[in-house]
Amino acid sequence: MEMTEVRPIEGYRVPQGCRDELLDEDGAPRPHAAPLIATLQRLGPEALQAAGRRRDTIFMQQGITFEVAGTDGERRDRPFPLDLVPRVLTAAEWTTIKRGLAQRIRALNAFVDDVYHAHEIMRAGIVPWSLVVSRPCFARPVHGVRAPGGIYCHVSGCDLVRGGDGRWRVLEDNVRTPSGISYVLENRLAMTRLMPDLFAGHHVRAVDHYPSLLLDALRAVAPAPEGNANVVLWTPGPLNPAYFEHAFLARQMGVELVEASDLVVRDAVCYTRTTSGLQRVHTIYRRLDDDFIDPLEFRPDSLLGVPGLVRAYRAGTVAIANAIGTGVADDKAVYVYVPEMIRFYLGEQPILDNVPTYLLGDERQRKEVVARLGELVVKPTSESGGKGVFIGPQASAAERERQARLIEQRPDQFIAQELVHLSTAPTEVGDGRLAPRHVDLRPFAVFGDEIRIVPGGLTRVALREGSMIVNSSQGGGSKDTWVLDDGTAGELAPATLPTQRPPELPDVRYGGWHGQQQQQQQAALMHGPT
Amino acid sequence: MLARIAQELFWLGRDLTRAEHTARMLDGAFHADVGVAPGERGMALSWEGVLVIIGAKPAAPGEEEVQSAPVAQAPGRGEVARLLTLDTETPASIVSCVARARERGRTLRDVISTEMWEALNSSHLALGRYDLQEALRTGPYSVFQEVKERCALFWGLVDRTMLRDEGRSFLEAGGRIEEADMVLRMLRVAVPGEPSDGGHESEALALLRAVGGSQAYRRAVRVGPTLGAVARFLLYDGAYPGSVASSVQALVGALSTADPQPRSSPPVLRLERLIADLELQRRTDDARGKLDDTLARVQTELELVDRDIDDRYFTIAGLAAVHL
Repeated sequence: MEMTEVRPIEGYRVPQGCRDELLDEDGAPRPHAAPLIATLQRLGPEALQAAGRRRDTIFMQQGITFEVAGTDGERRDRPFPLDLVPRVLTAAEWTTIKRGLAQRIRALNAFVDDVYHAHEIMRAGIVPWSLVVSRPCFARPVHGVRAPGGIYCHVSGCDLVRGGDGRWRVLEDNVRTPSGISYVLENRLAMTRLMPDLFAGHHVRAVDHYPSLLLDALRAVAPAPEGNANVVLWTPGPLNPAYFEHAFLARQMGVELVEASDLVVRDAVCYTRTTSGLQRVHTIYRRLDDDFIDPLEFRPDSLLGVPGLVRAYRAGTVAIANAIGTGVADDKAVYVYVPEMIRFYLGEQPILDNVPTYLLGDERQRKEVVARLGELVVKPTSESGGKGVFIGPQASAAERERQARLIEQRPDQFIAQELVHLSTAPTEVGDGRLAPRHVDLRPFAVFGDEIRIVPGGLTRVALREGSMIVNSSQGGGSKDTWVLDDGTAGELAPATLPTQRPPELPDVRYGGWHGQQQQQQQAALMHGPT
Repeated sequence: MLARIAQELFWLGRDLTRAEHTARMLDGAFHADVGVAPGERGMALSWEGVLVIIGAKPAAPGEEEVQSAPVAQAPGRGEVARLLTLDTETPASIVSCVARARERGRTLRDVISTEMWEALNSSHLALGRYDLQEALRTGPYSVFQEVKERCALFWGLVDRTMLRDEGRSFLEAGGRIEEADMVLRMLRVAVPGEPSDGGHESEALALLRAVGGSQAYRRAVRVGPTLGAVARFLLYDGAYPGSVASSVQALVGALSTADPQPRSSPPVLRLERLIADLELQRRTDDARGKLDDTLARVQTELELVDRDIDDRYFTIAGLAAVHL
């Protein structure tokens, strides 16, 4: 291996107050990432650049793209921006995250059940009922309907961030239709093809069993006799930005990808229209919002919906994942109460903390927030994808004033949060050099018989220097996320096979006109020194 | 047709299919290799397993003591990739397979279509273009991809441009017997002798990927990929074109077309018995423990078919070669 003069990591400066995932304050690799950093330095910047070019070609070829609006306003496909430097988590870090998430999701699930049934947490005076019913995602039509198996949040993806103190915090819950898992799987596959050398010296836990986990969970909640569940994935259609993921998951699970026109409800039973007549559907993994699923119960102008679906759901003939009405649990105003939910429903202390958050409906908190607007982050409660987020330290005086006015007008529609200095990770910034960029983490959990979480998740990275907005719609990229295996993996490790000798196979033949001679010669070569 | 021509066509089909399956297998092994702790993976797609499949076998259990120069370490990614991908000295490597196929094609230019020849020749030239060291350093995924695509192109051209005559039947027979053999080899190495339940999912996924059948499996089989279910799929499922059952069926079809008297052809008769036997096994085989026996038996049978084909159609060619 020839030595290169330029190293990818040089003059690496971690921003003030942030923690870097792979390097310590002095710029030395953290122990768990040492082999990775050494390999990167050895390969040099040219290798990173070359791999980047191959990545773009392969992604364009495979159609792993997303649409961006060009300067001329025309939309065009770009290869999904996968950064070639993985983010690495230790087994111990992952154990904490995994336990914390499982706990949180169990509480959120209990909350959804509670909201539509007993209202215990509201009666206990912990979460105000008026707040819950005023959420736009509160689904009156499913009041009193218990989802099959008592599971509402089948698929969830909570966004985690890590502050300068090294602690993990939950920034947002997402228990409606979180997307991004397809990139987790595609990123890993691409990394093994583009940069196989990086894996040397690390034992990275596999992620490719996610489709099986999901399918198992969807089958587990199906109101069908064992083994006969017909599961479908319902997409709004090819124009949806996440259509790639819908098709990917359907393909990986081997289930039908359906649109509204494929589904029909007769006598409170849901069917697909097939070439051999109507076929009963047991579980629908839907990737569209409550509002659109049934024009008879929700938005009457929805053309994407299936009339009568809610009726079938109420009758218990079909399971819908995630269940209708889960949106109340991931509303940004309800988020504040999640630690209390964990204590109330589970009797446990939260393992993962919230980011300190202020509700602006409360007058005292609002006054304080408006006074400190320059240091805080303000988010609209019912938006997603980074829309309408106000970041105090980066806002001009005029922007601050405008935001203060908005808050005074409609205090209920905003929350304010302390600014978390997102941790950074070395990221390729063109010309093969690495620089720190801010990252978050979205692990994906599946809740069927039990909660299973795929090791790692989607690491999103803000590609612009200093930016903390990681959403891919706003210039974010992603990284392959490694969870290292220290041998104590437990739940998801492949079973250890007994070391065994391979069976004796007959020799491989080489034949043809000059077969015999060739075969002997070749056999000699094959068994000779290699 | 000339026995020599028939035999060369038969082996042309075999060489190309071997190249394609080697590429698929290495791609699967590469993917399985990264990120899995040593010892966690069984034989399925370890690099040692790959070597066994491709016929560079380590010592059998009994031979270990008498082996004079024991292998110091299990072969690793770099070494196996070098051997089996672009090493012209190794007869089992992808380039060697393609080179042999192209040499055969050169002597068959009057029989095969010009487009087929050009596809063969350009495959050979394209592989020669790769810088060996560079490809190995950056991961030879692109090489595997190219091999797969070029093989598909060749078989597509066979379909479009070659007369449906005896020659084509031998070409296809070669391709199908090789495919059945490669899949059987992979299965025999991957499926553990002692049945055990659970786990193995990543093992099973790697196996599917190494054959190129993940998606077909997901659509066809309603249970998650366990080693047993995947092995059954690859062995029995007639709807999947790469399964042993499909290959054997196509092989008997090709030979029956080529042979003027298929009813008295030993390979055809043997294959028909094998097909019936496979079908019987598929319907009765519930105990997982028997699977490795079945695999061994099918492979032995297929070896006999191979000899029968030699005897019935090519022996004359072989004799002639000796006398040359």
